[in-house]
Amino acid sequence: MENTRSNTPSISPAAVVVTAVFLLVSVIGINWFTTFVPVVLPDQASAESKSVDELFYILMIIGGVVFFLIQGMLLISIIAFRARPGDHSDGPTYHGNPLLEIVWTIIPAMVVVFLAVVSFNIWTQNSEPKASVNMVDGQSIAINVNGARYAWTHTYVTERFDPDGNQIIINSGAELHTYIGQNVDLTLQTQDVIHSYWVPAMRVKQDLLPGDPAKGGRPTELRFTPVRVDGRSYPVEYPIVCAELCGDGHGRMRGTVIVHEDESQFLAEFYEPAIHAILNPPADPVLRGEMEIQNYICNSCHILDRLGWTATTGPSLNGIADRAGERVPGQSAEEYIATSIWNSGAFRVPGYDQQMAAFGPDVMEAANVMSPEQLYSIVAFLCTVGEGSDCDMENAGMAIPNAIQTVFGYEVDITFGMEGDVDAETPEVEAEDGDGSS
Amino acid sequence: MATIAVPLGAQAEQQEAETLRRPALTDYLRWSVDHKIIGVQYGVAAFIFFMVGGAMAMLIRLELWTPDLDVMVSGAAYNSLFTIHGTIMIFLFIIPMWAAFGNFVVPLQLGAKDMAFPWLNAFAFWLIPPAAVVVLLGYFVSPAEAGWTSYPPLSTLFSGDGQTLWALGAHLLGISSIMGSINFIVTIFNMRPPEMTIWRMPLLCWAVLATSIIAVMATPFLAGALTLLLLDRVAGTTFFDAAGGGDVLLWQNIFWFYSHPAVYIMVLPGMGVLSEVLSVHSRKPVFGYRMVGLSSMGIAFVGFTVWAHHMFTSLQPELRIPFMITTMIIAVPTGIKMFSWLGTIWGGKIRFTSAMLFALGFLSLFVIGGISGVMLAALPFDIHVHDTYFVVSHFHFVLFGGSVFAVYAALYHWFPKVTGRMMNERLGRIHFLFTYFGFLFTFFPMHVVGMLGMPRRVAVYVEAFQPWNQLISLAAFVLGFSSLIVIYNVIKSYYHGPIAGANPWRALTLEWQTTSPPPTMNFDDDPIPFEDPYGYGTEASAAYLDAVDEAFSGAAPAKGGGH
Amino acid sequence: MTSTVHRGQKPKLGVAEMRLKNNRLGMTIFQISWIMVFLAMIVVNWQLRFSYAEWPPAGVAPFDPLLPTAATLALLLSSFLVKRGLDALRAQRLGGFLTCWRGAMALGVAFMAIIVYEFASVSDAAMATQYGITMRLMTGFHFLHALAILAIIFRVYRGGAAGRYSGDAHDSWAVEGSAKLWYFVTLAWIMFYVVLYWIR
Repeated sequence: MENTRSNTPSISPAAVVVTAVFLLVSVIGINWFTTFVPVVLPDQASAESKSVDELFYILMIIGGVVFFLIQGMLLISIIAFRARPGDHSDGPTYHGNPLLEIVWTIIPAMVVVFLAVVSFNIWTQNSEPKASVNMVDGQSIAINVNGARYAWTHTYVTERFDPDGNQIIINSGAELHTYIGQNVDLTLQTQDVIHSYWVPAMRVKQDLLPGDPAKGGRPTELRFTPVRVDGRSYPVEYPIVCAELCGDGHGRMRGTVIVHEDESQFLAEFYEPAIHAILNPPADPVLRGEMEIQNYICNSCHILDRLGWTATTGPSLNGIADRAGERVPGQSAEEYIATSIWNSGAFRVPGYDQQMAAFGPDVMEAANVMSPEQLYSIVAFLCTVGEGSDCDMENAGMAIPNAIQTVFGYEVDITFGMEGDVDAETPEVEAEDGDGSS
Repeated sequence: MATIAVPLGAQAEQQEAETLRRPALTDYLRWSVDHKIIGVQYGVAAFIFFMVGGAMAMLIRLELWTPDLDVMVSGAAYNSLFTIHGTIMIFLFIIPMWAAFGNFVVPLQLGAKDMAFPWLNAFAFWLIPPAAVVVLLGYFVSPAEAGWTSYPPLSTLFSGDGQTLWALGAHLLGISSIMGSINFIVTIFNMRPPEMTIWRMPLLCWAVLATSIIAVMATPFLAGALTLLLLDRVAGTTFFDAAGGGDVLLWQNIFWFYSHPAVYIMVLPGMGVLSEVLSVHSRKPVFGYRMVGLSSMGIAFVGFTVWAHHMFTSLQPELRIPFMITTMIIAVPTGIKMFSWLGTIWGGKIRFTSAMLFALGFLSLFVIGGISGVMLAALPFDIHVHDTYFVVSHFHFVLFGGSVFAVYAALYHWFPKVTGRMMNERLGRIHFLFTYFGFLFTFFPMHVVGMLGMPRRVAVYVEAFQPWNQLISLAAFVLGFSSLIVIYNVIKSYYHGPIAGANPWRALTLEWQTTSPPPTMNFDDDPIPFEDPYGYGTEASAAYLDAVDEAFSGAAPAKGGGH
Repeated sequence: MTSTVHRGQKPKLGVAEMRLKNNRLGMTIFQISWIMVFLAMIVVNWQLRFSYAEWPPAGVAPFDPLLPTAATLALLLSSFLVKRGLDALRAQRLGGFLTCWRGAMALGVAFMAIIVYEFASVSDAAMATQYGITMRLMTGFHFLHALAILAIIFRVYRGGAAGRYSGDAHDSWAVEGSAKLWYFVTLAWIMFYVVLYWIR
């Protein structure tokens, strides 16, 4: 083995020195790099994002050392070990060094174990269930996210009740409102394909999985806690992105997280006004319908110029009132529109072969629940979309409720929303606090 | 005699050309059971698909020049574009391309006259053109738009009939891959010369063996998954339809049980090529031969246990941890290979041939893909970048920076053996520079856009990412242009390249111990392998190589060195 | 011409020996590979069980294992006869080979008839759940293999009756190969049989 030494260029002192220099350079380089981190990652807007980014720094430091080590050795080899012109001889016959091979098996293995332990700790810490979630007004409520091609819908199942004793559900469309320090715990459900709910600023992501609607779907859960980001003036908006390919409009399936500064701002700017608007809708059913229709996912499939909708999965709604009377023989325009919302399978517009989602008073998806009153106002609104409406515009207050009565047998309370200023009622029973949300 | 009419130099050239005894070009269009013809058939077909898939990539980058939808007519058209881009690159380019080099080189390296099952070999190749027609027909009829991963229910309940044709085509390609792999395993086990123990086998054969073992074990799962997909689409079953008791995660499990090992099917042969090229062109034995060979097997084995890291955002949270750990373990055998390759060139006498440049480029880029791979394995970080451009970047570093660079290294290295002529080294260097820097500036910035919040597979994106995307697109066009250089080089060199001789690189493995191109039965006599396939620098190896040069100098003059 | 580089024309193995060796290894690898598809189907069955609270799902009567057990025994016996036939051929007893294979094919047909009956008699209630669907997937998939391989067995039998094979392993690979395919069918079925009828 004595001639091995003369043939061992891989552990010459020069190599050791150069390697050490590169290690040093890489550590300095990494420090320099971390100053650029805000350029490559969005705001650290959640408690989770802090620990995830810590892991990112660790990965970058270890990765950086490996990177500079290997590129450095490559560079040295290219410069130092190039065959000189005219030198046709071979290199040294050196087959390997078991010690070195053991070293570069054991050290990466140890690094990997270290990374696995760190990742495991951060993972368990971030995924630990929190004690009080979705706290609003001292009560835990349910916040549901509904994914449908190609829109997000957020619903807040509040612990407030309207004068008839119905639980008030706020539908905030593509917006998720929260505040600093709220332990957000979302229940995610999809209506069609797999979507993935991603809030880059919170570093959280979860797929929405189709389940059997008869068994209540296949809800998944997403948890995060917003934290203050220095230098931002609240409320701050962060994007919600769909990360799993879901079809034609996958790229435009976006939403917004709106983080309020504290609970009082959340209540004052979002929660209370939303409840107030639900209890006191505009008296004019057309205006109310225009408001209501935007709470549903209709915009994900239809074109409607008046509201800026551009999706093409379903037929265009432009001029719907002009056509509604002639679609199905024997059906009035009001009956046709009401039918195509609550019983969308009844008639299929030629050229469109996709089944519209189900809406109605007792559908599975919370986001699609629609009371007769809401249907009334939406039909009233759609009756105005067109030039020469087929609807009976003179007697809309009679014709539409009659149509709903004829087709579905529901009485519509057309006085709904016409009472004065109504306030929500909070339940008085203390025991309901903990599990009141369903 | 007509010799007077021919100038002396031209006569010599003509004589040399006659000694090449190359198959006629039309032979490549016919059914043939000669592994050398089949190898070229695989290679040319795969490269044509590479160009088709590359043209689609150019369209993708053109679409992403602006944040809005402008080049494609709809989001669905864009979806089907990258679906077919991915399908072509994986099933019709990389996997057949390695079958090309495996077919041409492995029997020669083993000193065999052909593969174990020549007819099966030809059949496996000829399954590819009809499969390609089916897949591409699907693209023009009613395109699949669910991505190459084809997750249901998007691919079952919401996709056009092109999806059915896509699945049929993928089915055929999977069967072709299984048949090819059985052939490789039997050839490598049974047809070595008696002197060549498994520990004296060239490392390309080790890598092809590991690859083939993965392919025969994993590809049947793809066949199973595609069968279910087809039944759901055509026969009304509900395996992936939750309303009928099905489960969408079933597809993800079975599909990734094939498709993660498939990543190693795509990259392991490249690693084998790298061991050959680095050793020959730095005139030094492979450092730690046994560990390099065994690490191929290690990667193959561990590769079967990591599939669910593709499901980190859909799997039940408690099941994610074990897959994180197995995924990280893969870094160990991969690291062994990286360090062994560095040990191979360290202290050698590096010849900067084009093949060597691409091999060094592989080392430099693959390490980035490896680092981002470990980052993706780290579960909490993966949750953030899962399904983003970070992932797109990672797998292009592995499959382009890794596999494609190795394909180019293999092309420059074995082209003389295949055609009997050398490639143009100057063009090769230009090609390398364009490819390396085009690649780096295309795919490195993708890490950043991904982390900033750009998901993959979108035709429209927020305006803030436009500068990044324009940089990426510009670099991608440079990268696309670079492949035209190599096409020109191949065609020019095929007709006008300098005559290579039997062993232009003075390499010790057996494929160089015969004429270039080899005769129909590969070797006029049974060749005796040198005791060590990488034993450069000893007197015995020099004597062996001199004997080779002498034996073939009558057939074609040896050109010495490798410059 | 013998040198350091060339050993001259000294075949290591005869062409026929080499071919037989390759065929045997190739068949083994094919069997290991293709059994994976059957394993994939078992994974399908196993994972879909988690979609239901109980298996078979509520309101679905479990399959009666009586007839399938008879079919399994028939298949096992058939495989045994195929092996006996192969041994007989190796011992130069052509008559014994043909008799055994006739019996094996008859038992194979009986097996397939029972499977067809089982496939056809899955109740509508079962077909409304994955219990019935996966059963039809697995038995149907297996049936196609059994049918194709029985056709191969039949062809080889006809060749044997025409005196095409001597007892020598080198010129009767078709007999050995088709026998090994039939063992494969048997093994695949036993896996399915256990999963379908006995693991609840």
